[in-house]
Amino acid sequence: MLNITNILMLLFFVLVFPGALFTSAVGLWLAGVDRKVVARMQHRIGPPIRQPLYDFLKLLGKETIIPHAANKTVYLGAPIVGFISLAMIMLFIPIMGFTAVSGSADLIVILYLITIPGVALIVGGSSSGSPYAGIGISREMVTMMAYELPFVLVLLAVARKVGGGALVFSMQDIAAWQAANGSLLFHWSMIPAALAMLLVVPAEVGTQPFDVAEAETEICEGPLVEYSGAPLGLFKLNTAMKMFVMSGLFTALFLGGLGTGIVALDALIFVLICTLVVILCISTIHAVTARLKIEHLFKFYWTFVAGLALLSLILVWCGL
Amino acid sequence: MLKKFIDDSALKSPWIYHINTGSCNGCDIELVAVLTPRYDAERFGFKLAGTPRHADIVVVSGPITSQSKERLLRTLAQVPEPKCVVSLGSCPRSGNVFKGSYSIEGPLEKYVHVDVSVAGCTPKPEAIMEGLYKAAQILKEKREAMKK
Amino acid sequence: MIQHFPVMAVMLLFLGAFLVAIFGRISPFIRDGIAILTATISLILIYALIKPVMIDGQIISYWMGNWEPVEGYAIGIGYEVDALGLFFGLLVVTTFWLSGIYSLGYLKKDANKMHYYTLYLMLSASVLGLVLTGDLFNMFIMIEIMTFASVALTAFRNKQDIALEAAFKYLVLGSIGSSMTLAGVALIYRVCHTLNMAQISSIIGGQFNLTTIMAFGLIVSGLCVKSYIVPFHTPAADAYTAAPTSISMIFSGMVNKAGVYGIIRMVYVVFRAMDRSSLQTLLVVFGAVTMFVGVTMALAQHDFKRLLAFHSISQIGYVITAIGLGTALGLNAGLFHAMNHTLFKGLLFLTAGAVLTATGTTNLDKLGGLSKKMPVTTVCFLVGAFSISGLPPFNGFASKWMVYQAIYEKASSSGNFLFAAATITALIVSVMTLASFIKVTQAVFFGQVNPEHSEVSEVPFIMQLPMVIMALLCVATGLFYNKVQEFLLAPAAKAALSVTNYIDRMMGEGYAESAGVADILWQPASFSFWNPLVWLVLFVVIFLAVYIAIATGRKNRGAILENGGAYDPKYATFFSGEQEEFSQVGGSDLFWGFKTDWKGYYKVMQGLHSGIVTDYASYIVMAAAVIILVMFICMR
Repeated sequence: MLNITNILMLLFFVLVFPGALFTSAVGLWLAGVDRKVVARMQHRIGPPIRQPLYDFLKLLGKETIIPHAANKTVYLGAPIVGFISLAMIMLFIPIMGFTAVSGSADLIVILYLITIPGVALIVGGSSSGSPYAGIGISREMVTMMAYELPFVLVLLAVARKVGGGALVFSMQDIAAWQAANGSLLFHWSMIPAALAMLLVVPAEVGTQPFDVAEAETEICEGPLVEYSGAPLGLFKLNTAMKMFVMSGLFTALFLGGLGTGIVALDALIFVLICTLVVILCISTIHAVTARLKIEHLFKFYWTFVAGLALLSLILVWCGL
Repeated sequence: MLKKFIDDSALKSPWIYHINTGSCNGCDIELVAVLTPRYDAERFGFKLAGTPRHADIVVVSGPITSQSKERLLRTLAQVPEPKCVVSLGSCPRSGNVFKGSYSIEGPLEKYVHVDVSVAGCTPKPEAIMEGLYKAAQILKEKREAMKK
Repeated sequence: MIQHFPVMAVMLLFLGAFLVAIFGRISPFIRDGIAILTATISLILIYALIKPVMIDGQIISYWMGNWEPVEGYAIGIGYEVDALGLFFGLLVVTTFWLSGIYSLGYLKKDANKMHYYTLYLMLSASVLGLVLTGDLFNMFIMIEIMTFASVALTAFRNKQDIALEAAFKYLVLGSIGSSMTLAGVALIYRVCHTLNMAQISSIIGGQFNLTTIMAFGLIVSGLCVKSYIVPFHTPAADAYTAAPTSISMIFSGMVNKAGVYGIIRMVYVVFRAMDRSSLQTLLVVFGAVTMFVGVTMALAQHDFKRLLAFHSISQIGYVITAIGLGTALGLNAGLFHAMNHTLFKGLLFLTAGAVLTATGTTNLDKLGGLSKKMPVTTVCFLVGAFSISGLPPFNGFASKWMVYQAIYEKASSSGNFLFAAATITALIVSVMTLASFIKVTQAVFFGQVNPEHSEVSEVPFIMQLPMVIMALLCVATGLFYNKVQEFLLAPAAKAALSVTNYIDRMMGEGYAESAGVADILWQPASFSFWNPLVWLVLFVVIFLAVYIAIATGRKNRGAILENGGAYDPKYATFFSGEQEEFSQVGGSDLFWGFKTDWKGYYKVMQGLHSGIVTDYASYIVMAAAVIILVMFICMR
């Protein structure tokens, strides 16, 4: 099984498409679109769409200062671990029909891999030794607990809807089911779950109003307070990639099965849908709301959003 | 090749950190005005950073009171290279109306090299914009000079 | 020859206990020597059984004093080691061996070490005997020895106030559990006229009358006390905190597992009741409540060891939930998680002990920044924390995944929404586990160093060794879980399900068939979905790629600067311009928003965990009553 062609293919998948390079490129594009759209909504001209790329490159060129209270290995290693796990998640998410790696239980892999960038941010911030970072990681963790419940409910609802009596956690089966029966978004019992998922995306990415962890005006960017230079750039890149991964997950879960069968065209459609999702659930909410308090955020996710997702799960459980 | 990209990016994404060293808040309000929809500094990539570790341009307003001097110096030391220092308004330049006071330890130039100085009490947002843009250009030059 | 190994392993440990008590006074070297030597030999004896039992599938039986069944009745005490017993036996010997090594360094400052080693060997022997025996009354005796050795060891550091209090609670509540077990055993003897588990199994035959239901309920409740399922969990938190850390590790790695083993043995083999949906629901509900209450209580703790104690309770919830499903996959997952829990929780307790040795405190509000002082401990702790939180590629991920899959599969096939709720609980508890370990990471290992601890240094090598071994085991069982599945879990789960073999080996060929016993069907679970090794290779490849990208870009990239020696404001922590000072965000400061939203819940929980023994005793009796009542209503 592990001959040289397979290894080369795997390397290509991991490094170029749909792994590291593709994910970061699309992530930066989405982050740029987000900033531009927010600016236009606020009647500004806004930065060019390439702006996140400029930010990233500039940060590469800056000094990296390791504060004396920091643990050097963890401090420098954390952003890289986050980057790698984000690049790996894209291998499991089907781009319309195309999946780089298939398995029979991918949803839980994704659920766990998606927490790793968050954990990397938390551990990295914690290792920098700043009290601002301490408060930041506390909020980041509470945010994580907040959106995890609706997220889990959504995933289980999808698994039940697609699987019926059997157990289906496989992204590929979900894509195939949607190709046969129409996208899940167009099944009315899944609409509450889709709404819940749309609200999970911005919290996972950490954009306003759910950016309590990195509130730059009150706790100096929280976990990132001591970061500078290339590691900071990687963390910013991770946030951008998360945007793509989360919107991609939404697309794969609720709008799968729209593919044409040609990989390049599928990828294009996929990116377009992701862009729409980002504009809908990240930029719009960002432009019109102010930052929440952490306890309100938690309450919001465990009551309203989780309620929506639970409604879907119960409907699906009743066979609707 | 990569070096050129990075050098160019230094011009296009300068992040600002703002320190108030006893200013009357006039200059601060004008600096904020620069970021509002009317002037929109973000179109040049300017962004207000929350911590000096992220900053490229440090904007100092106010006449450097003796209370704020130490804190100013500490914060300036924490900004990673390449960095630019911009003095905003007349106070950090000369002390303005506070000159001669027992509690004023200005001007800013005594402690740190000032790259761009925007004069006025208070300077107009247009002037601040121009000053910041000049600082960004100096930033690029510094970046190019850094790895020679 | 080989059939003598199990009984030799147990007896040797008991012998070691007496030898330490007699000759331990002569010199510390003899005392430590006897303890470590007997532990090591017993370890080797049990490991030597892997080949015949796990791989060749033998069941080893041994009649004490060669007292074989007379006229079809097993009168003598029989040892019977099948793959299930050996699986737990392996966990037990590994745990107490590592704990013994660790105590050599850990107990430096304690007096009365002779008593410690005597009790330590008694405890080890009793738990090992418990999992290897084939006799119900022998099992009860081992539970008794285990309980009293645990009580004495809890009170070992009796200069702390909490030690005596904890020991007293343990004594009272543990005795209630033992008494319930004894009552159950007596009822069984009345019905079956035998105490051999194999024979009981064939006589009861999965058919219940009022007496056997009562007995079943009493024995299961008694074992629940030993495995600390909520609401039987109350003595655990105090005992784990008060006991020396090497013993806390034994508590969570062995004593806890002994209860779990007992429950599996009872419900699957002796009473064979797992095909009843009422019992499945009962166990799953208890399991789900246990994991939820355990983890939420852990989030609120500000003592390192107490936090770990509540996590022990919570993780046992996963195990009970999984084995309560009554499916092959569920049992498999439960065993895997039990094993992983032994590994990572043992590891975490050892790191807590290292912190305690180095700094003299486990208070999360007083520690901080130890990662630079204690690098080995920090790495080991992070491995343990990521394992218990179930992050890939560590072992906790593999077993939790199996647990989720097992529960949700059961939920899907049975259509019971209760099981789906248990899946949701399990997934959420996993995140909360992560949260509470982030809390420990921040409060103990990262952040700023408390000025009081500026002279702290790493613990001695003899204490590092067990931690490193455990950390390596955590990684290895996560990466090669296919091998673990093949050589340990599948045989063990199969053994629990194939009751016929178990009975036949003890009572003679064909006995089970004549009594009308049939096996539960064993379906091998397939886990081809995740090949961690490939992903580790990928991880390394990308790491290299990133490294190369960074290294080649060195000309263009900004420098990475580190502080040389003298104080330089450039490297100081950012305090909004203020002078740097000690300001650690400690355990109690974290997760403020969460705690505010859960105020009501915590108020109730605080009220329930009153610390009054009579309250706790009443919970145990009430819960036992509920279990027995449910059984009476549903199982007749």
